[in-house]
Amino acid sequence: MPESLFQCSVAIAGCGATTAVGRGVDALRSALRANASGLRAAARFDKPAFQSCVVGAAREEESGTDDPAWQLAGFAVREAREQARETLAAIPAERVGFVLSTTKANIEAMERLADHRPCSEAARRHLRGDALAADLAAAHGAGGPVQCVSVACVSGLVAIAQGARLIQRGAADAVMVAGVDHLSAFVMAGFSALKALDPAGCRPFDKERRGLSPGEAGAAVVLARAERVAAPAIAVAGWGSSNDANHMTGPARDGSGLAQAIRGALDSAGVEPGQIDYINAHGTGTPYNDAMEAAALRGVFGKNSPPISGAKGMLGHTLGAAGVVETILCVLAMQERLLPGTARLNETAEDAPAGVMKAPSPCARLDWALKLNSGFGGVNGALILHHG
Amino acid sequence: MDKIYITAASQASPGDARAAQFGARFGRLDLASQLALMAVESLGIDFDELPRERVGICLASRDGSLAADCEYWRGRGAAGGPSPALFVYTLPSAAIGELAIRHRLTGPSLCLVGPGSVLTEAADWLRRGEVEACLCVECRVITPALGEMIGSPPDAAAFALFLRRGGWRALEENERDMERLCAAFSAHTAAS
Repeated sequence: MPESLFQCSVAIAGCGATTAVGRGVDALRSALRANASGLRAAARFDKPAFQSCVVGAAREEESGTDDPAWQLAGFAVREAREQARETLAAIPAERVGFVLSTTKANIEAMERLADHRPCSEAARRHLRGDALAADLAAAHGAGGPVQCVSVACVSGLVAIAQGARLIQRGAADAVMVAGVDHLSAFVMAGFSALKALDPAGCRPFDKERRGLSPGEAGAAVVLARAERVAAPAIAVAGWGSSNDANHMTGPARDGSGLAQAIRGALDSAGVEPGQIDYINAHGTGTPYNDAMEAAALRGVFGKNSPPISGAKGMLGHTLGAAGVVETILCVLAMQERLLPGTARLNETAEDAPAGVMKAPSPCARLDWALKLNSGFGGVNGALILHHG
Repeated sequence: MDKIYITAASQASPGDARAAQFGARFGRLDLASQLALMAVESLGIDFDELPRERVGICLASRDGSLAADCEYWRGRGAAGGPSPALFVYTLPSAAIGELAIRHRLTGPSLCLVGPGSVLTEAADWLRRGEVEACLCVECRVITPALGEMIGSPPDAAAFALFLRRGGWRALEENERDMERLCAAFSAHTAAS
């Protein structure tokens, strides 16, 4: 493998998303400008079995589909392909890879099968993330390598890094990276059992924060070698990941694992902490996660932290889609030169990171953005974007 | 291209006598995590000799967490709902967390779902200098309950390889079958 391939620049050629704030990237852009929240009470989760019914739903409650993962991911990939059509038109299908990020794929099928409700063969097949990835790749003209990444809530960032790696090592010239997870009783029951939901809805970095709000989304980016993407492009400049090696469901209190991932990302991008213009936090709204994130950021950036915000008060925690959709928010922020706010943050907690943004604010420069995620199993991820 | 070497290889299957050495908590783990821990333990790696933040974990989870999903969701009718202790194992990457905790490995991790291999990814990390060594684990778990649901025969095994810059033998380009490599390593150690 030529050594230069390791250094080749990878850029984002197109984005697509369907989330709690609406269908399409423009809906996301509007929510970013308005600091809007898509979190709502959902009647189907308004039951004693669930700690909260506040969720970030991207579909009508009675949509009735047995394959929501396919539906959500398909919408996002179509939109991202459309945005990237000029780039993709010049690349043969066998040189286009596909990386799917998901934690539960089409878990709807398991609920249906367990309850002896109707379930199509396709929906049953999409219980398997690798089958969902293969079918999405085939349907969207990606004839190159196909992977299904699943690393808890860090999946999306790892999937984007995987896409960039495939391009850098010459396995593909472009890669569609899609993230998807859908709302389900399965996941709601799990977080309820862990007492991890905020009955009032997720409030990242808030003094009164009590937990997360599950969300659902399909999100996709098309990555390509930078010279194939029209300038000014946003590049995937670096990434890092780590493990706390501490606890299966709780983060390391001192933030050392996340700090290690951030330092790895800074090193791989070749930038200093002082060059980062904006940080998009994991910001689940759980007391421990937000405090851990603050500790990690203090460890890397000291007292002079760049502006920080979190998107889970806007979209909910979209699990395997989170890293992808929150990266798209960073892309939009960089294009608009708008520092995003933190929807539903009312009064900033004392233990919140310095520099937390409540409301969006225009800025003169937003060239370097850092995106963070952490997850069960102690995993941490950091991704750096550069607006060239 | 830089050569990447297999240092050790091992495998585990259900009913393995090695389970007894892991203590009481072991019984509460999902089968994939149990098998992964047993396979890695048998590699005989002294992790104290390595910088733990420079050891990666690459997991190939052929069946994802479907077996744990099935077991967890069967508990939905219980008082208090399905088990919170099982919920964490409904992630395909759960075994990574268990391996990291047991061996205090703080390096990067990756989990790919499906029948593919992670050896190419681990070799990529080593060539880029992102890690000094990488634990590669492949898990296959189809319990009888899951098999009935998805129409597949029951199966359970884990295979572990340890990759570094030197060792038993070089990993060939496009060599991806971890079961075969484990068998070859076993034959090599038996012969020597």
